[in-house]
Amino acid sequence: MAETNRFDAIVIGSGVSGGFAAKELTEKGLRVLMLDRGKMVEHGEGYTYDGKPAYEVPARNIMPKPLVDSDYFIAKHGYVQPSNREFHNDDRLNPYAYDEGSKFYWIRPGAVGGKSLIWGRWCFRWSPEDFEANKRDGIDGDWPIRYDDVAPWYSYVEKYIGVSGSRENLVYLPDSEFQPPMPMNVAEKWLKQGLETKFPGRKLINTRLSNMTEDKPDQNRTKCQFRNQCGNGCSFGAYFSTQAVTLPAARATGRLTLKSDSVVTNLVYDAARKKVTGVRYIDAKTGQAETVQADLVFLCASAIASTQILLNSRAPGSDRSYFDESGTLGRYVMDHIFRVGIEGDIPGMEEFIEFGRRPGGVYVPRFRNIGGDEGVGFKRGYGYQGSAYRNPAAPVGFGASMKQGMRKYAPWRFSMGAFGECLPYADNKVSLHASKVDRFGVPLVRFDVRFRDNELKMMTDARAQGEAMLKGAGLTNVKSSESEHVPGDAIHEMGGARMGRDPRTSVLNEWSQAHAASNLYVTDGAQMASISCVNPSLTFMALTARAADHAVQSLRKA
Amino acid sequence: MIDRRIALAGVVAMFGSALYAPIARAAGVAATPGAAAGIPVISEGPPSVAVFTAPQRALMTALSERVLPTTDTPGAIAAGVPAFIEKLLADWAAPADRVPILAGLDAIEARSLADYKVPGANATAAQHDALLTLAMNDQIPSGSVFFEAFRQLVVTGYYTSEIGMTQEREYLPVPGEYNGQFPYSQVNKVYSA
Repeated sequence: MAETNRFDAIVIGSGVSGGFAAKELTEKGLRVLMLDRGKMVEHGEGYTYDGKPAYEVPARNIMPKPLVDSDYFIAKHGYVQPSNREFHNDDRLNPYAYDEGSKFYWIRPGAVGGKSLIWGRWCFRWSPEDFEANKRDGIDGDWPIRYDDVAPWYSYVEKYIGVSGSRENLVYLPDSEFQPPMPMNVAEKWLKQGLETKFPGRKLINTRLSNMTEDKPDQNRTKCQFRNQCGNGCSFGAYFSTQAVTLPAARATGRLTLKSDSVVTNLVYDAARKKVTGVRYIDAKTGQAETVQADLVFLCASAIASTQILLNSRAPGSDRSYFDESGTLGRYVMDHIFRVGIEGDIPGMEEFIEFGRRPGGVYVPRFRNIGGDEGVGFKRGYGYQGSAYRNPAAPVGFGASMKQGMRKYAPWRFSMGAFGECLPYADNKVSLHASKVDRFGVPLVRFDVRFRDNELKMMTDARAQGEAMLKGAGLTNVKSSESEHVPGDAIHEMGGARMGRDPRTSVLNEWSQAHAASNLYVTDGAQMASISCVNPSLTFMALTARAADHAVQSLRKA
Repeated sequence: MIDRRIALAGVVAMFGSALYAPIARAAGVAATPGAAAGIPVISEGPPSVAVFTAPQRALMTALSERVLPTTDTPGAIAAGVPAFIEKLLADWAAPADRVPILAGLDAIEARSLADYKVPGANATAAQHDALLTLAMNDQIPSGSVFFEAFRQLVVTGYYTSEIGMTQEREYLPVPGEYNGQFPYSQVNKVYSA
């Protein structure tokens, strides 16, 4: 086959993990083929609605109801708009299944770059505590790595991508290699003082964000221009995306081949050699299947999609994946629980408003169960993401008086939402559907994932503590809400092919490397053995860079 | 991720009340997945169906201008709000979403004939204001349901139009900087998002 020996490595997926894998591997001298199921979107020219106001976007940038119902009934939970629709998955064309009573929102991208084009861009390091949490809590699934194993890779990634934030020296939330923070506004500064005074030990800090506050001219990237239209694609390259950061780096080596519209169905495996020998994919435009070979495979298709590919890699006639000797493949699927919101009015400071549209906001780091069980009725903890803002005044009545009334801003308001850690449960699993297949012949992913008592108790506490903190800090009209908690809704789904020391209880080893195949690395969310309560993408990037280094060193030794 | 969520919540906050369904869906607060077939293209151009009869359209147009009238800046008609409303109801909303609008227009039409002996479209501005006030106060059949839905349509159409975003409000395509303590006294107009 003509493709044989053309590539040293194949990277499946081009999101935060796949893009980083392609960059690292090509820069280390490997010829890399990167496959992505999505359509091609080039940096800049592919951002059709970058800089366009609502009146230049179809349907005023409001998703038409018939289109949502027909094609974006899951993507709507992922903030799809006409201006970013091409970056999102079409739910009609790419279905999945869930069991009765275990609804799951599998929110997927639909373009090269993966979720790096549609992500929230909050970047946090995990703490030493996070890597030790399963062990400390006596929960099955101790991480085979600790914070110190990952810390240098966090630094490496942060310096490269650019992360804005403030140094805080917090035990639970280690500082990154920061560019200057996005400033707090006057109301957030006021809230910080009130909250930290009233609740000693709790903090309200600047967000940590991949939106840059300093230029990176060597990468042709310009700092954030405060448009807050990140989801349309950013031609300034101000935030991390594959398109803006890792794809140009990989292309610059001359060793990258990128194929979009290429849907990987399964991995070909040589059981005798314990190696992956090929990657089978289907050209979504022609329906043609092809198997391509390389010495090394990085599977970075996203937590659930990578797990699906692994599950579907099995001997003819067998239900059992080559990679599931442990029986843990597809299990321990997690997502952050987050449908608790608290908001209130901030009195005064009405002589000030915000100029510019700042992405991000402020963060209240986890304060529960740090360093031990505090007897609050649940394990682990949660943090809050929020911001203070002034909306234009709401319409009152109609006519000239209403129009005039809407020419001013309402008082400051603050709102925040909790993001809580979900424990790993063996019974929270994804599997292949027994009878339904997609248009490429791949069995549908079937979800059976639920939040349990620990997560729900945590949200009850997050709601009560959030109210207490905002009231204590001096906000008025403080209200909280809790809505349906659906796994997947936070778009932080993780697990399915977890890392561990023991091949009998895990899928991957401490290098994100498959126990069953030394030339297969899975470096996206699938590898996570627990999920902290902080946003995960930065950790995926760090683990990917670490795994790529290990893989290339291993190749050179061999 | 919160900024995406807050940005959408801002649409909700603009109205501060229960949302008319199409606006609610756009803001992501409703959750009614359907299974209808469809083509992934956003319909643009003229409405694919006539939502309004000619008298209804004339009345809707006149009332939109009373909700957001021409003052020192252009009003709803100049901003293309009536066309936006008909397009939205024809192609960007569910057929059921037309019901409260059409019912309200018909109730106002009937009241105009009863009170002023003229078709709604021919009533004076003052009479339109009186009719809208009756609707707002729910003193005609389905009045307040119509009023809230109609006002949200007009407000959304106006403040997402070029006139609404750049004349009534000020749009900064590239602010370039952020100041979280900017003196309100230096602000001439509300900034469009």
